[in-house]
Amino acid sequence: MVNALTCLLKKKVTEDYPVHDENLEAIGLKIKADINAVFGRSLAIRELDTGSDNATEIEINNLNNPFYDVERFGITFVASPRHADVLMVTGAITHNMATAARKTYDAMPSPKFVVAVGDDACNGGIYAGTYAVLGGAEKIFPVDLKIPGNPPAPAAILAGILALMKRAKDMKRREP
Amino acid sequence: MANNIDIGIRAVCEFLGAASTPDRIQAGCNSENYLVLKDHEFEPAVSHLAANKFVLISLFCIEGFSDRAAHSLFYVFERRNGILVLVNDVNETTLSVASIFPSASWFERECRDGFGIEFDGAFDTRRLFLHESYPENFHPLKKSFKNEPLFTKETINPVDEYQFRTVTGEGVYQVPVGPVHAGIIEPGHFRFSVIGEIIFNLEIRMFYKHRGIEKLSEGKSPHDCIRITEAVSGDESVANATAFCLAVERISGISIPERAWYLRTIMLELERICSHLGDLAGMLVDVAFPLGASQFSVLREECFRQCDCQTGSRFQRGIICIGGLEKDIPGGTINDLLLFIRQLRKRCRIGLKIVLSTTSVIDRFATTGVIPGTLLRPLNITGPVARASGGKVDVRLDHPYGIYEKYVPKRQRLQDGDVLSRFTIKASEIMDSLDLIEQLIADIPAGDIQSEAQVQDGFALSLVESARGQNLCFVWIKDGAIERYKVRTASFCNWLAIEHAVQGNIIPDFPVINKSMNLSYAGTDL
Repeated sequence: MVNALTCLLKKKVTEDYPVHDENLEAIGLKIKADINAVFGRSLAIRELDTGSDNATEIEINNLNNPFYDVERFGITFVASPRHADVLMVTGAITHNMATAARKTYDAMPSPKFVVAVGDDACNGGIYAGTYAVLGGAEKIFPVDLKIPGNPPAPAAILAGILALMKRAKDMKRREP
Repeated sequence: MANNIDIGIRAVCEFLGAASTPDRIQAGCNSENYLVLKDHEFEPAVSHLAANKFVLISLFCIEGFSDRAAHSLFYVFERRNGILVLVNDVNETTLSVASIFPSASWFERECRDGFGIEFDGAFDTRRLFLHESYPENFHPLKKSFKNEPLFTKETINPVDEYQFRTVTGEGVYQVPVGPVHAGIIEPGHFRFSVIGEIIFNLEIRMFYKHRGIEKLSEGKSPHDCIRITEAVSGDESVANATAFCLAVERISGISIPERAWYLRTIMLELERICSHLGDLAGMLVDVAFPLGASQFSVLREECFRQCDCQTGSRFQRGIICIGGLEKDIPGGTINDLLLFIRQLRKRCRIGLKIVLSTTSVIDRFATTGVIPGTLLRPLNITGPVARASGGKVDVRLDHPYGIYEKYVPKRQRLQDGDVLSRFTIKASEIMDSLDLIEQLIADIPAGDIQSEAQVQDGFALSLVESARGQNLCFVWIKDGAIERYKVRTASFCNWLAIEHAVQGNIIPDFPVINKSMNLSYAGTDL
């Protein structure tokens, strides 16, 4: 009990937010408004690596660091494709990953979106036309949006998500 | 005969008999020594090397290297500061050395998939990087195969599925995990055999990301290959590009300007800091201590931004080239780096103080995922993982390249081999790299950053210490184009260690053990 009290009363372990990036905040707030309107306040993304060089994963992971902290805009990276609205594909589709990638996509409930992140996922990149890959993500999925880059920076990925929101909004508007 | 040849290597020559043997040793462009074996010599030479504590650090195959046979197998052995490469010319079959050097098992399976070479007496003959969907008798690294899109099977019959080792017994059950994991992480399959909550056995299956890096580089000009080397593993871009350029520069006798080496070394160390900061953060996430984790992930993001300021790329890509660097970094920018480094050191210390004074973290780290020191040599475990288990290996000290002879990093070493040791080693290495960068910035000379690079034909081996450990690179240039590029990253070796590290631990501790070793899937799968 004494311990709980001291925890309550002692100085909080906290520090200032590392940076305040106006551009990022602006994009984030727009995304948040769109997510609220289209996805019921939460956009669930499942990341799928089908053969990247791991730099893209690092940048997507960075979206969760305190600089970007995208969860405050309503974006969550989920553990299962069953919970996902968006499949974020990185890397060219390798033959060894093709089956697992298809299964992941099939496990997602409709409506679903696919975003290709990085040059390799967009069109196969340097691997296009070689024996080990099928090509970009569009070889096995209908791709809704491509975010090029080697790898794209976190801010570019976020801008991509905003573009996807526009598309989703248009789709919703067209619904009968 | 090579000068200052290592005593151990000399002993091998003497062992192989004939007073003339030392003459057969060819000094490579790097300090490596090549010995082309006659047919009957292979078996005794290998057992002699095993008895003399040589470590098999790589084994790869090259087609059309010798007139004597279709393929040449290069067995790369290391003993202290010496590198001995045994060249074994074979047509289709040779003896397996996997029961003498366990690290050879994956290497042999790799050669078998790539070139169709059979290893007699191998205990594991399953395919490695070619999964079920690839056709039978398909060997992509053969010169007769032209690199073009392949039609593969879309559905696999259950009988053709990969056979995992079976572990049976009362209460043993299997937990298959992957290739698609729950987090934002690369694909790989883990097959746990569990009794209650305790992991009894783990078998890993990798190579889901096999993208044909080695074949892709063939026929390209060395200059065009740098982009490929940077794609081996994103967070080792600088290390792999440096290793490749080092090999090409040694082949062609290009000496690069001093300033370029200073800048390259700063970039290599900066890459190490980025990687280690990510590991520290990751390990803390996996023991549910976000307060500590966010300290380090903030620092890591700042490091990435600093890399962007210095080189124009967050992963420092596209700046290293054969003969030096593509562009200079202005003095003002380097000064900013110095200020950043000083600040980073202070903030790192604060973060570490928070973490190491938190008992719940220490409780999860200590005695978790122990890698015994006895495994280091048989599996060729390398990098911080080895140094946390009592190993002494560090390429920067054992085979210094560039200016590491002048700027000698501290040899970090701990004995326990658990997650806590790996955390501590990585934290100390961050501090050392910061010191090193500060020293380099103080001494950096002015001058050119690129020397004229006239690439010549030849072959060379190079070793570079990446954040994960020893990265090996072999380049053979023929008619001005890459004939063979072999890269073996530290992860390729260290992956096998994880099968041992998790035994006796509980599955919930697997993520932290995995993160503490920080293995690259992309760098392994190639």
